[in-house]
Amino acid sequence: MRYADFTPYDIVLLLQGLGVTLALFVGTTLIGLAIGLALAVAHHYRVPGCRPVIVLVTEALKNSPVLVQLFLVFFGIPAFLHIRMSPVEAATLTISLNTAAFAFVVFRSGIESIDRDQIEAAQVFGLSRSQILRLIIAPQAAAFSVGPLVGILVNQLQVTSLISVIGVFDLTKIGNILNLRTLQPFIVWAVIGLIYYLAAKTLAHAGGRIEAALRKSVKWGGI
Amino acid sequence: MIVAENVEKRFGDALVLKRVNLRVEPGEVVTILGASGSGKSTLIRCINGLEALSGGKITVDGHDVSTKAGLVAARRASATVFQLFNLYPHMTALGNITLAPIEVLKLPKAEAEARARALLDKVGLGAHAGAYPQQLSGGQRQRVGICRALAMQPRYLLLDEVTSALDPEMTGDVLRILAELADDGTTMVFVTHEIEFARHISSRIVFLEQGELIVDLPTAQFFAEDGGLAVPRIRQFLSKMKKD
Amino acid sequence: MRFWRVIEPHIGFLLQGFALTIVACLLAIVGAVLLGALTASMRSSGNRWVRGTANAYGDVFRNVPFLVQLFFFFYGLPELGIYIGAFETGVIAMSIAGGAFVSDVILSGILTVDTGVIDAAKVSGLSRIKIFTRIVLPIALRVSVRPMGSILINLVLTSSILSTITVNELTGAAKIVAATTFKPFEVYAVLLVLYASLTTLLSFAISAIHRRLNRFMMGG
Ligand SMILES: Nc1ncnc2c1ncn2[C@@H]1O[C@H](COP(=O)(O)OP(=O)(O)OP(=O)(O)O)[C@@H](O)[C@H]1O
Ligand SMILES: [Mg+2]
Repeated sequence: MRYADFTPYDIVLLLQGLGVTLALFVGTTLIGLAIGLALAVAHHYRVPGCRPVIVLVTEALKNSPVLVQLFLVFFGIPAFLHIRMSPVEAATLTISLNTAAFAFVVFRSGIESIDRDQIEAAQVFGLSRSQILRLIIAPQAAAFSVGPLVGILVNQLQVTSLISVIGVFDLTKIGNILNLRTLQPFIVWAVIGLIYYLAAKTLAHAGGRIEAALRKSVKWGGI
Repeated sequence: MIVAENVEKRFGDALVLKRVNLRVEPGEVVTILGASGSGKSTLIRCINGLEALSGGKITVDGHDVSTKAGLVAARRASATVFQLFNLYPHMTALGNITLAPIEVLKLPKAEAEARARALLDKVGLGAHAGAYPQQLSGGQRQRVGICRALAMQPRYLLLDEVTSALDPEMTGDVLRILAELADDGTTMVFVTHEIEFARHISSRIVFLEQGELIVDLPTAQFFAEDGGLAVPRIRQFLSKMKKD
Repeated sequence: MRFWRVIEPHIGFLLQGFALTIVACLLAIVGAVLLGALTASMRSSGNRWVRGTANAYGDVFRNVPFLVQLFFFFYGLPELGIYIGAFETGVIAMSIAGGAFVSDVILSGILTVDTGVIDAAKVSGLSRIKIFTRIVLPIALRVSVRPMGSILINLVLTSSILSTITVNELTGAAKIVAATTFKPFEVYAVLLVLYASLTTLLSFAISAIHRRLNRFMMGG
């Protein structure tokens, strides 16, 4: 026999790969959303000198291939700054920033879409700037943003497959290993594809429920 | 000849046409009158096969519109002008008019265009052959719509309230063209609220009342005291139309 | 400056890669539009099996990473006895993935076509196929220019992934240059700026085409 058959242990391998993919996805999502939100707030309050830089950087991130970004971070930065960087670190940094760039756009338009009148009305009620942000803008921006954010995250989940190229042992990398060992590409890549598909569907479904819940609460709790 | 026999049409539970019988001979201009919702448009859409019949039968020159082959032949024999023009928005006036002659009649492009330009000249739009619908006024669009129908050289022209989306001045332009067509002997089935115009050009008038065709008379008799006007519903309808 | 000094000796090689990227994207967008138009027409069909098949295709290829799709074809096709080059495989994979997105765009374009306009085409005796190809599709494509443009831009970005199956398009070529010069930062930084400029230029071009094609269209 030229190739080794599938073994029960391969299931464990797949689960490990899925675990790495999901962990990296969740981690970069949290970091990315936080950075994206911070950028949107900085942009909204016109922090001096911030706007052009934020826009330039996020546009560059959105308009260039993630693979190139990964190469720049994983191969380029260590060579340039003479530091060490592991594949996981490079992957986390790159995907987080990438998510942040897309999230920034969503948060920004979420903030913009809220009626200026409401903010003025709240100022009449004597709310401070930070209260307005916390009590009015944030909940509504969240409700407006969930739909597009879910779309972005479903996409980013797929983007994580690229980290296998710089050597992270995620689900796709496990696929590569099984593919080389078993020489059964159809089965291997169909199974890997199916797992990604199910993960994406689960994510989209959960996102839909969160969106519905948030919209409801904003409707009830609006000022 | 267009023949409708016991035509019925339902939308869900609503019976919109009830055993309608109608014959249109070549050379006739038949006007369909009736209140809003009485089923005039539906009858036209049954004749050109846009709605499937729920009962009865319609033939155009003997071609049964409820069969596939019959519908193809029936649509070759007739052409429709619509209330809201329904021009192809991505094509010029010329493109709108030549599409079906080229694709359906298989005319050479040059011949189809020559025919289209002649028609456009006739309706006073010779200079607008290259214009897109969006660049034309309502009245101009409807004249293109008429040219598009005529380019197929139909034996029957079906017109459903072709002036009701136009303001009075443009209505006049379009009606003049229709009057000329009638003089040339074009067979027309005509839905309109322009009573005076209908009286002028129709050879016959039929009246629809809640899906029933209750009166079918030559024009003179329809407007005679002892003819159509003797029917209370028609008298009421006409006097209401005059007031509007 | 230092970036240019690193790149300059390899500019010819990089331009070759760039040309390959352009060719791959052009072929893929044509493939994607053909496939997307076919899928969209299937999705607006009355037959539920036809509709179901088309929907499933769109759903699957939009929810599986492109890299996985690419490996599926790259390693899988030879198993079927189909031996085509990596470049051809890449173009096919990009067309299939792109088609899933294009079908969405065209379908919503189709739904914007006024039913009265279709009625007019029907009564004039045009066949169903002619109505679709001469009336419905051209109108749908015009209103779809913008979203179609973002799909093309995404294809440009996606094409960099072909470097993982040994295609030396722009990213593949840059990888080789980075390895030979030992200056990965300079090479990839330039590459990133190149891609970003290319896609930005594209989006300007798309806006211009949109305006031009929709000059005379209602509501456009
Ligand atoms: N597609 C449809 N689905 C359901 N009901 C319809 C449909 N088309 C027409 N109807 C109904 O059929 C009846 C007749 O409509 P039709 O459009 O034929 O009237 P009409 O005589 O042309 O009226 P109008 O003068 O306002 O144009 C109306 O009650 C209308 O609501
Ligand atoms: Mg009507």
